This record gives sequence, C-alpha cells and structure tokens, in this order.
Amino acid sequence: MADNGRKADTVTLTIDGHEVTVPKGTSLLHAAETLGVEVPHYCYHPGLSAPAQCRICLVEVEGAPKLQPSCVTMAQDGQVVHTESAQARRMRQGVLEFYLVNHPLDCPICDMSGECKLQDYVFNEGREHGRGREPKRVFGRDDFGGDVLYYGDRCVMCTRCVRFMDEVARDGRLTVVERGDRAVIDTFFESGLDGASFAGNIVDICPVGALVSKDFLHKARAWDLDHTESVCPNCSQGCNIDLHTRDNLVQRLKPRENPEVNGHWMCDYGRANYEWLNRPGRLEAPAVGRGDKRRASDWQHALHALFERLAEAEGASVRVVGSAFSSNEALDALRALAEQAGTLQAGVFRARRAEDEDPLPGFPILVRRRDLAPNVDGAGILGFTRVGDDDGTGGLEEAADHDGVLIVVGDELADQDESFGAKAGLFVYLGTFDSPAARNADFVLPLTTFAEEEGTFVNAQGRVQRFRQGLRGPGTAQPAWLVLGTLAAALTGGDRPVSAADAFASIVQRHAAFGGLIWEGVGSAGAALEAAHA
Amino acid sequence: MSDAPFRNPGWAGNTGEFDLSEDDVRGAAYAGERPPEGRHPSTSASYPFMLVERDPYAPLFEGRHKERYEKIRSRYPTAMAALLPALNLAQELRGHISPETMDEVASLLGLSSAYVRGVATFYTMYNKRPVGRFLIQVCTNISCNICGADEVLAAFLEHTGTELGDTSDDGNFTVVEAECLAACGFPTCVQINERYFEDVSARDVPNILKRLTDELAAG
Repeated sequence: MADNGRKADTVTLTIDGHEVTVPKGTSLLHAAETLGVEVPHYCYHPGLSAPAQCRICLVEVEGAPKLQPSCVTMAQDGQVVHTESAQARRMRQGVLEFYLVNHPLDCPICDMSGECKLQDYVFNEGREHGRGREPKRVFGRDDFGGDVLYYGDRCVMCTRCVRFMDEVARDGRLTVVERGDRAVIDTFFESGLDGASFAGNIVDICPVGALVSKDFLHKARAWDLDHTESVCPNCSQGCNIDLHTRDNLVQRLKPRENPEVNGHWMCDYGRANYEWLNRPGRLEAPAVGRGDKRRASDWQHALHALFERLAEAEGASVRVVGSAFSSNEALDALRALAEQAGTLQAGVFRARRAEDEDPLPGFPILVRRRDLAPNVDGAGILGFTRVGDDDGTGGLEEAADHDGVLIVVGDELADQDESFGAKAGLFVYLGTFDSPAARNADFVLPLTTFAEEEGTFVNAQGRVQRFRQGLRGPGTAQPAWLVLGTLAAALTGGDRPVSAADAFASIVQRHAAFGGLIWEGVGSAGAALEAAHA
Repeated sequence: MSDAPFRNPGWAGNTGEFDLSEDDVRGAAYAGERPPEGRHPSTSASYPFMLVERDPYAPLFEGRHKERYEKIRSRYPTAMAALLPALNLAQELRGHISPETMDEVASLLGLSSAYVRGVATFYTMYNKRPVGRFLIQVCTNISCNICGADEVLAAFLEHTGTELGDTSDDGNFTVVEAECLAACGFPTCVQINERYFEDVSARDVPNILKRLTDELAAG
C-alpha cells in the first residue's frame, strides 16, 4: 500500500535526456529546474498565477501536436520533454525577435542591464542581427508615483506587475491599457501608486527594465554591485534581503526568498530606509576621558584601561542601555559583562513603534510590524526591558542619574542632554556615532553597524536569522560582541570570542530559549526558536 | 428610409412558423430600449453607438436605466462578466466612456477603476472621447480597400471637413476607419451609428451626408 501511495504522489519523466522524479502537480518548468535546466520565461513567477501568455517557455513534449507552455503544463509519467530541440530553439528565437520589434535596445542607459531577462535570452538564443526595417514606436516614460518609474518601450507585457498588485497586494491599481503594439501598463489615469506600501516589489519582479526604482535610477550598474545575504533592519519582521553594495556604500535592498518570513517580497518602508547605513561622520577610534579631558586612544590602551576600571568597580551596581538594532551576540555579551562587573540593576532598550502594522494581504505572513527595529524580540528574550515611548525617546531617567557603572551600547541617546551619566562612577559609551549625551563618558568606543559585522536577530515570529558582513566598518570600529566579550573574558579569565559563531554559542549556553541551535544550523533561512513560542 | 411600418429589430413578426410571441423571443430580461413607435431602429438604444442621450453628464443607471442595469447584472455570474454590457449601457447614455464614467461603473460593479480602464481601452467600439452625432466608420479592410475604400474615406473627411478621428465643428460627424464590418460582399461598407450603408462609392458621400443632416433637421 505504501508503495502504491508513493507512486501516486510522484511522476517520473525525461527532460533533455535526463530522467527526473518530481511530485505530482509539478510544472515542466519546475521539473526542469530541479535538473538545473532553466527554461526561459517572463510571465511566470513562482509567487504569482501563470497566465502562459509570454510564449517563451514553450517546450517540445513528444506526442503533443504543438509546443507546450512549460509553466502550466504539469509533468506526467513517462513524458519525454525537449527544451533544447531544434523546434523549441527556433520558436524561442522567433518569439524573441517579436519582443525586439519595438524594444529600444537602450541597454547602455537601462538600469536593468546586467540582470535583464530579455538581454540574457537574446544574448543566448536571439538572432545575431535584427531584420526590422520599420521605425519603432516610442512611448517614453511614465512616473507611477511612489518609487516606481515605467518605461513603456522596454515592456514585454508579461503583466507580472499587474498580477502582483491584483493577487498579492490586493490593490488592483495596475492594468494593461490599450492593446496590440499600443499596449502599456498604467494605473487609472493619474491616480498612480502613491500610498501602495508594497509597490516596490513590481520593480523586483519586472524581468526587463520597464519598471525601475527612482531611488536607484542611474546610480549603479548591476555588475558592479556586491550582494550580501542580510536581514532587513527596519522592522521586527526581519525580511530576508540582499544588501547590494558598491564602494562600501549600500546602494539598495532587495528581498531574498524565504517562504517562512517574506516569500519573494518586502515592503517599501524597509526598502527605502537604508541611507542611515551610509551616514558619514562615524566614530572611528576609541577615545578616553570625560568631557574636556577626552583624548583619542587605541583599542589596546582603551580596553586595558577599561578593564582596570571594571575590575576596580567590582560589586558596583551596573545599569546597561542596549539597542534593538544590536545583534543578539552584542546584547548577550553586554549582559554577561554587566553580570561579571557587578550587580546588574537593569538592562533596558528603546525602540520606535509605529501606529499600526501593515500586512501584505496576499501573503499574510509578511507584515510590516509596529516595532521599527530588527531585534526587539531578541532583546526581550535576552532579558532586556523596553522603556520609553513610541518615538523611541524617554525612559532613561534612572540610567541618566545612575551613580554606579553605566554602559550604553548602540543607543545614540539623541533625546538626552550633556548631563547624562554625570553622576556615574564609570560611564562607557559604545556606539556608531558620537553624541552630546556621551560627553560624560569615560570611554567612547566605536562600533560597527549590523551591515559591517556578522550576527543574528530574532524576528517577531521568534525566528533567529543571520546577517552577514557587506561593508567594511569605518576606521577601527569593532563589533560589539567582540569588544564586550573580550572584556568579560578578561574579567573571568575565560576564552574570548573570536567569531560571531563563538558569541552565538555562548548565547545558546546561557539561554534556554536558544536551546539546541547551532550557528551553522541557522544558515541563510534562519531557524525558529521553539522556546519563544512555548 | 422606407415608408414600411416599423418592426423591432430581431423580431420578424409572427410568421406562423414558430409558436412564439415577441416576449418569448426577446425575453422578459431584454435589456435594450424599444424604439419609440414609428421611429427607425437607429433611434433605439440596444447596441453600442446608439447615442440617444449623448449627455456626457447624464446620470448613470438611474430610473428606467437602473432597471436595465440590474437586468444586465442578473444575467452574468460575476461583475467582470457584466462589465461589457454595463459599459455599453453607459456609452449609450453618455455618448462616450470618460474617465469619470469608468470610475462610476467600476464602483458600481465593485471592480477596480484601473481594470475597467483596461477593458474599455482594449475594445475600439467604446469611445474614449466624445464623438459626433453620427459616428461614421468606413471599412478599409481588404474587400472594401480593393473597391475604393480609401477614396470613400477621403471623401467623408473632405465633405465633413474633419481629420480622421476628430469631430466636425458642428458636432455632427466623426469619421473613423474600421476594420472588417462583415459586409465584404458589398464593398465599400460604411457603418453610421448602427446603420449599414453598402456599395458606397466616393460620389455617394455628399448624398449620404445630406440625408443625415436632413434627418437631424427633421428631429
């Protein structure tokens, strides 16, 4: 019985001479993908319905009278499929020639150049020379509002954008207007895409350069960008993203597929807020001394002096201020250091909170959360208490007047004045930017941002997600877990962490919620914290 | 026009062949307007381009037209399916489908305005801008073209004093090209509102236009 059951669930077919077994209901396009064969396609997108209208994924199926669209033809037992037969290739060449009838071929000034499917397919299989003698029709460009710009001449009418707005954003604002060679994508006259909070995704799914981001317009060429797997830092959903960087600057954020978190999508708010990672004027070297006595130092001297002050202060009352933008590794190292140095009174953090959340109707797992920081949940699990109001201000009165050891990590203290920490016996400020409120700090130590280090965040679903280093930190800035972990190790005489993996291992040891997780196991897709849900 | 007594289009009268009444043929759900007694069917409003009211600000689907709209809606399973006849009705009332009309029809049917725009612009028989009292569609497809459609079209443009697609200054005539009007046996075919003029040659054009203006003068 079991055997029969298994047979009913899978089908075995031959694609390009290779046998492959796939689950029933798999399209030929997917089945070919499992073999590493990419069948060209425009209108098909895994997150959308398949209208089979672009006609470029047609493949030869033996026994079928005509070529079959592989995106909607389901694999069947014993099928013999040829994606590279003479017939299929000739058909693709013909279809591509039609696509180029009115295409402006303005690749040198097109933002999509380098990642454009039309460019790729034509380069692979198109005709060497165009045969068109007629003038091409010209539309020019149309500002859709929001971050989206539409170049009608480049459009291949795959309608992915129309279907995304319809099926996923459930906001049918886009449509195909007119028909034939006059067809363009448009909104209802001048209404545009303003206020559509997920519209940026249509730029991602556009297979050609028809829909481009105004923010990214003419900013960088696709082949100059480095891609780094990361996590969106702009809300506690933690959409999986790629940081696209060039010249040590983040140029744009693009969603990275993760069916458990964000599917193929991300929100416009997250996408648009990356400039703070490029903000100049960072802290670059350690500094020692309060107020006017402050002088530049280096890590060796600063850490040595700080270690001595901490050792002296043994048993003192300690208050720490963390940040929801800090990694779990940083927050836990901060807590461990505070517990070593004395009696931890309170660990607090602040985070901005939006008025409401913004779910994506067609993919309800993805929500732009109210907490506008990536690690609010991680900070909570690691024993930090949230203070302050919804603007991420206030709530630091006790810390400001604390007379023991005060350690601030990652919080810029923007709403605090120069009297902050005046009474503290020892005030250590670790951050990315100097702040007027850090005037009383005995030690000012430069940190890297999440884009300049490795680490993990815990998102609102209770999922540990890793981000990787995409930028070089300024000057001698160091990851917080390295600085704090080194100090804690010096106090206890233990081993200092040399990698984010070490710091993560210490979290797993110290916190039951992280039980059973290993650094490698978190991987690119993240791992759920079981205990967080219990 | 002939002096023969008027008969509703689609109803040939009781021929004795079938045991059917006019209501049986048209059905109680017939959504079109029957032409007033004694008038030519072109004054009725059961097809697109029958521009009886021609008021771009006419209220949409109110009073008796509301009943017609509801009959249309009840005949189709989804709002999307009912969109085409609903747009026909809207064009009949207002003469053309303006952006405002698209928006109103969209909210009435619960569709997005953009979708309605997409449909309305796909079909050439919806006028996206105001047209004259007579919409003159000259077939220039193969059969007619061989038999002088280009000259007929040029003659219409010349005698109405308009450019292709524009409306004459007196608001009476809009001349457009049409693809096949399915009267290939009688080229050149010209459709004026919903009337067919067959075997038209360029020299017939002044007469046709005179006949139309006379009709207008007669009311």
